Amino acid sequence: MSDLGVEEGPIFSAISASARQLFLLLRCIGFADKAQVQISEEGLRFSVEESSVMEGLCFLEKSLFTSYVYNSTSARPSTPISQDSDATGVDQPIFQISLPSLLETLQIFGLTDPNTNRPPWARDNHAAPSTAFSSNVLGMNHVCRLGYDASGSPLSVILEESSIKTTCELTTYEPAFATDIPFSRKDLALKIIMRASWLHDAITELASTSPTRLTLVARMQDGKPYFALSASGSLGSARVEFNNAKATTFALTATNTVQPDTSPSLLLETFQLADPTAKVVNSYKFDMIQKAARAMAVATKVSVRGDAQGVLSLQFMIEVEAGKVSFVDFRFVPFVFEEGDEGDEVDNAVVDDEVDPSEDDL
Amino acid sequence: MRFKASIQNISIFTKLTASLNSLGNFAWVKLSDNQVCFTIIPEQGTQVWAVLSIDSIFEVYNIQSAANNVVNLEVPLASLTSALRSALQATSASIRLTKKDNIPLLALTIITTSSINPRGAISTTGSSQEEGAFGNGYEESAFGRERETIVTQEIPVKVLSADSVSGLHEPRCREPDVHIMLPPLAQIKGISDRFTKLASVGAKAGAGLTAANAPRSRLELSANMHGCLKLSIRTDAMNISSVWTGLTNPELDPSQVQGGEEGIAEHPSTRMKALGSADGRSDEGWATVRIDGRDWGKVMSVGRLGGRVIACFCHEHALILYVYLPNDNEGEDESVLTYYMSSYSA
Repeated sequence: MSDLGVEEGPIFSAISASARQLFLLLRCIGFADKAQVQISEEGLRFSVEESSVMEGLCFLEKSLFTSYVYNSTSARPSTPISQDSDATGVDQPIFQISLPSLLETLQIFGLTDPNTNRPPWARDNHAAPSTAFSSNVLGMNHVCRLGYDASGSPLSVILEESSIKTTCELTTYEPAFATDIPFSRKDLALKIIMRASWLHDAITELASTSPTRLTLVARMQDGKPYFALSASGSLGSARVEFNNAKATTFALTATNTVQPDTSPSLLLETFQLADPTAKVVNSYKFDMIQKAARAMAVATKVSVRGDAQGVLSLQFMIEVEAGKVSFVDFRFVPFVFEEGDEGDEVDNAVVDDEVDPSEDDL
Repeated sequence: MRFKASIQNISIFTKLTASLNSLGNFAWVKLSDNQVCFTIIPEQGTQVWAVLSIDSIFEVYNIQSAANNVVNLEVPLASLTSALRSALQATSASIRLTKKDNIPLLALTIITTSSINPRGAISTTGSSQEEGAFGNGYEESAFGRERETIVTQEIPVKVLSADSVSGLHEPRCREPDVHIMLPPLAQIKGISDRFTKLASVGAKAGAGLTAANAPRSRLELSANMHGCLKLSIRTDAMNISSVWTGLTNPELDPSQVQGGEEGIAEHPSTRMKALGSADGRSDEGWATVRIDGRDWGKVMSVGRLGGRVIACFCHEHALILYVYLPNDNEGEDESVLTYYMSSYSA
């Protein structure tokens, strides 16, 4: 901290007590080569995108760091930025870095002390005898400092372990994309909250047929929520259905609804449709959805939301340590398709006949 | 020409040949009255000249030849390593030079004793009826029977004439600018492997290359005379370095340096001592070499032998590593492996 602070007004410096936490969160969006970083008063926002139809967002909140200093150069008060916020302060530093390089760097931790499982007398460490106050004992081994001095300077990551100090300077690039995929939270068509591992299981299951697209169907069926994911590809198609035993549907219009008992037996903790009589059907590129698999695997809960335009938002709640949660967001642009014939696809001729039989059940 | 020895420390011998094998396929093994030398001279990359005292690996050692009791062999390291691996569980193992169908070979005889204890299967204090029938047998087996297994592994070798090896000399190098005791090699290897991987990640992201045709990564290794070692790599996407501090720079022994005390006063490392600082922040006083990341990773595999390692840096020129094998007997001749690496130009 001190040596970073001495230099004249670094824009940003932070200390994290656990590089592992940062790694676990950032790994969820680790599918792209470059990540866009935005530094604000509230935390670090890492975003990645793929072909402009998918976006991953990881917000490292200020509270994840033991020390967080951001010297805003702009005079105007910065607006609070939530995970979903599209607002970007113009004066906030924004740049791109190589995400794989950052992930690899954060993993350097723990590599350098392979002997920790052994008692001190069995370690072949000639150089540094450990004392009662050495960093291992104090649990300071995973301290990592982040720093960004001035506009255009590299993002530095400094890791310190006993007698080794690793400094990594990540080249910062000009931001490549400025706007997020528009998602209107005021105009939701669908909102489902469920355990992320179930979504992960479903996607893993469907992936076995190497499908090209994933269709999401949500509607009320005999007064019960019905949610299905079906995948179709050249090898065939498959469908996973989530059926709730009892109705827990609430119209989205009724705000501040008291949530029902979220007993673990319920597959879908929350199931809300804007119009309970309507059916929500949207298709997405399967490969894109699969890129969120890492987040599905580590998250405890996922909120699946679709807006009126069919843009899908997956928000994952990840428990970084007991009682402390972080969020990782994904947004997907749907395939364009015409009203009425949900089977027909615009850009390829595969007919999604999976959706049709279910229609008879209505 | 005769050579026969019993192997005292199979595990050390195996680790030694395995780590040599990562740098080359064939070793020139020179057996003489008082030492065993392993030399690896690959087409490209690191040379190893290892000099081992007889008792670091062998126990009973017998060598005879017309040429001053020196035998030179070319040994395929992969076969020798896998043969030795099969002997890891052995109670005793010995090696000798022999000939079969006019092909010289090293025969490794492995003796494994396993005791069979039938009491585990059938209780000797079992029912009285059965005792009558098998009584005698049980008496005997109560002590356990030992079974000896003898396996002989044959490794074809080439016998080299004294002439063919007379032209081979250990590389000569100027006096090093910095000499330093390295931290545990497993530690360095962990970091340098990660760096090499980082470089390939960066190269892929930058130029759209695959890992295979990515340019070979050059690790930059520096040290100063104040106990600091620096490992760094530079790619388009990043610039990363790890610094160790608080390492030891061993004192030079006047009896080993040309010119004695005066020689030390004029030694390059004495001049380097005046420069740099112990916290590794100063830019001065570093001796730097650039080496291939993958080659370095292979060299670091010698870490499994667990000896002390002293690195000698000749700035922008070469890096020499002396790996001293752990020795139980204080004061005896130490076994040392010497690695020669030349530096790439920037």
